[in-house]
Amino acid sequence: MPAKTKSKTAVSKPTLKNIGLSEETLMGLYTNLLKTRTLDERFRKLFRQGRFAGTYFSAVGQEATTVGPTYGTREEDIIAPSHREIGAAVTKGIPLVHIVAQVYARINSPDKGKTHPCHYGWRAKGVISPSSTLAGQTIVGTGCAMGFWIQKKDNVVLAFFGEGATSRGGWHEALNFAGIHKLPIVYICQNNLWAESVPATMQAGIKHFADRAKAYGFPGVTIDGNDIVLVHQTAAEAIARARAGEGPTLIECKTYRWYGHSEIDPADYRTQDEIDEWRRKDPLDRADRLLQDLGILTTEKREAIVVEVNQEIDAAIDACEKEKYAEPEEAYIDVYSEQFPVRRDEY
Amino acid sequence: MKKTTFIEAITQAMAEEMERDEHVFLIGQDIGLYGGVFKATKGLLDKFGPRRVIDAPISEVYIAGGSVGAAMVGLRPVAEIQFADFITPSMDQIIQQMAKMRYRTGAQWTSPMTIRVCCGGDVGGGLYHSQINEQWFFSQPGLIVLLPSTPYDAKGLLKSAIRGDDPVIFFEHKRLYRWIKEDLPEEDFTVPIGRAAIRTEGKDVTIVSYGLMAHRSREAVDQLEKDGISCELIDMRTILPWDRETIFESVKKTSRVVLVQESSKTGGVMAEVGAAIAEELFDYLDAPVTRVCGLDVPAIPFAPPMEHYFLPNAEKIGRVVKKVMAY
Repeated sequence: MPAKTKSKTAVSKPTLKNIGLSEETLMGLYTNLLKTRTLDERFRKLFRQGRFAGTYFSAVGQEATTVGPTYGTREEDIIAPSHREIGAAVTKGIPLVHIVAQVYARINSPDKGKTHPCHYGWRAKGVISPSSTLAGQTIVGTGCAMGFWIQKKDNVVLAFFGEGATSRGGWHEALNFAGIHKLPIVYICQNNLWAESVPATMQAGIKHFADRAKAYGFPGVTIDGNDIVLVHQTAAEAIARARAGEGPTLIECKTYRWYGHSEIDPADYRTQDEIDEWRRKDPLDRADRLLQDLGILTTEKREAIVVEVNQEIDAAIDACEKEKYAEPEEAYIDVYSEQFPVRRDEY
Repeated sequence: MKKTTFIEAITQAMAEEMERDEHVFLIGQDIGLYGGVFKATKGLLDKFGPRRVIDAPISEVYIAGGSVGAAMVGLRPVAEIQFADFITPSMDQIIQQMAKMRYRTGAQWTSPMTIRVCCGGDVGGGLYHSQINEQWFFSQPGLIVLLPSTPYDAKGLLKSAIRGDDPVIFFEHKRLYRWIKEDLPEEDFTVPIGRAAIRTEGKDVTIVSYGLMAHRSREAVDQLEKDGISCELIDMRTILPWDRETIFESVKKTSRVVLVQESSKTGGVMAEVGAAIAEELFDYLDAPVTRVCGLDVPAIPFAPPMEHYFLPNAEKIGRVVKKVMAY
């Protein structure tokens, strides 16, 4: 099946009917976008204030690519994230306190503080805590899909990665395998034009990364990744196909990260014009305007959501700032199952 | 009772575990239609079908990483890497995903799985079909590394690996596949991970080894016995986490130790075992901790005289033991 490029032509008078989504879904998408954006911007501030160690990987500007596909998935569906999937973590329902604890590396973090900020994971909601090796969870996530296929379960995996990760050999091995067996997985490429400092044009000799799907015998589609409705609907169709045993889809979402690769990256390899252009395509702003046009979002309603989201975030941050780090001896825990305690060296 | 070869023991372990637990499945190159290049999976595709015996494309990254994912959603993968020489593409997945899954997720996600790796020289396999690289995995906490030397241990340890909750690299020495045979019990049995086996009891010197080298050491022990030297031979079986207690107790008793490994000397398993003995048992030792290892060269060379020159054997081991005794 050929890769194709979709772009939604603006409808002059949008209605719920011609969009094809319920008010509840649209509000759900919007609320998760807003919550993700608010939390992300807050984390950036907290990092600048020195409230947590390491660095922080902001996803501001590209939230629609994670919120859109994740919204509406089942609890037992798997999210195989990379490092900029705060939107998937929020939308899949990892409790905010655990998301904040992860960044703060406190004892109430799912990983007990062992990895690094932004490696959100939560078994109960099917979110794999990622490694920093790019395309890592694409490969492991494909394995999860293989597991569902072996057991003939109708769960689906959403694997997220940037366009840069598609250059890795293991990424190709995973998609190749998924194509052979029509595994229940949807690959979501967030093409934000920059892999740290390397432009997409230096990453591949093709214009649309979705074209890579051709080689593996399943559909690839390139879409406007800042259009939350389009992203959600394209992913939902792909998820339905995957669930029905019809195999994977590669969705390339064209998007942009507003800030550096991490907070210690000034991102001066990009032009201000480029940044300004993409800021005008802000996915949150677009969703806001759409919902207002549809008559389902008012200023009062937005303010109420903003207040509620901020209260929830404040509470989570307060709770984590009061929380302790794990005892240093925690370093010896979870190396193996309890059958094999690690020998401890004392110095 | 029909003698069981090493490779038959491996096949039996997989078939029996697949019967016992429907979550166990196999993935690897040429393991289905062909039954494996060494026939370890012969007959299993017919018996268990294509979703439980998966012929993989030539994708060692995926074979390892995909197995991790399947393990995370409740399956018990047994992956095969046809030759240890070809495991290098899998390293990223083995080191970054398989070994660290439990640690990096606070044990929310784990990777209970086994990668079977055919390894080793003395078969004329050449530079790229003879490698033995257990030391790469030995230096990665989070992994269990096994390298059995007998059909009994192979079957029992492979079953323990499949049933356990930890990620296992299971090395199978190809020289042993059809050479070593023994009677195996009819009933189900396992061999515990993490315990060495004392193959011969002795009082003068401890020899520690594993895999093919456990057999070469045994040949040396038999010869040394005739020369009046009583050797205690320990077969490690589990490389990581290794059995300090059994080895240390023996060294305390004999006060002399020779460590034998097939792979290159520098940075090998015996470098660690030797360092630990030196660190912990200095007061007990009557002679320097001494190693007999493969050469520090890039791999086992092909031409037969060079291959034999590379590998430790009974003669080399015997000479070194005598030197240690004379110290």
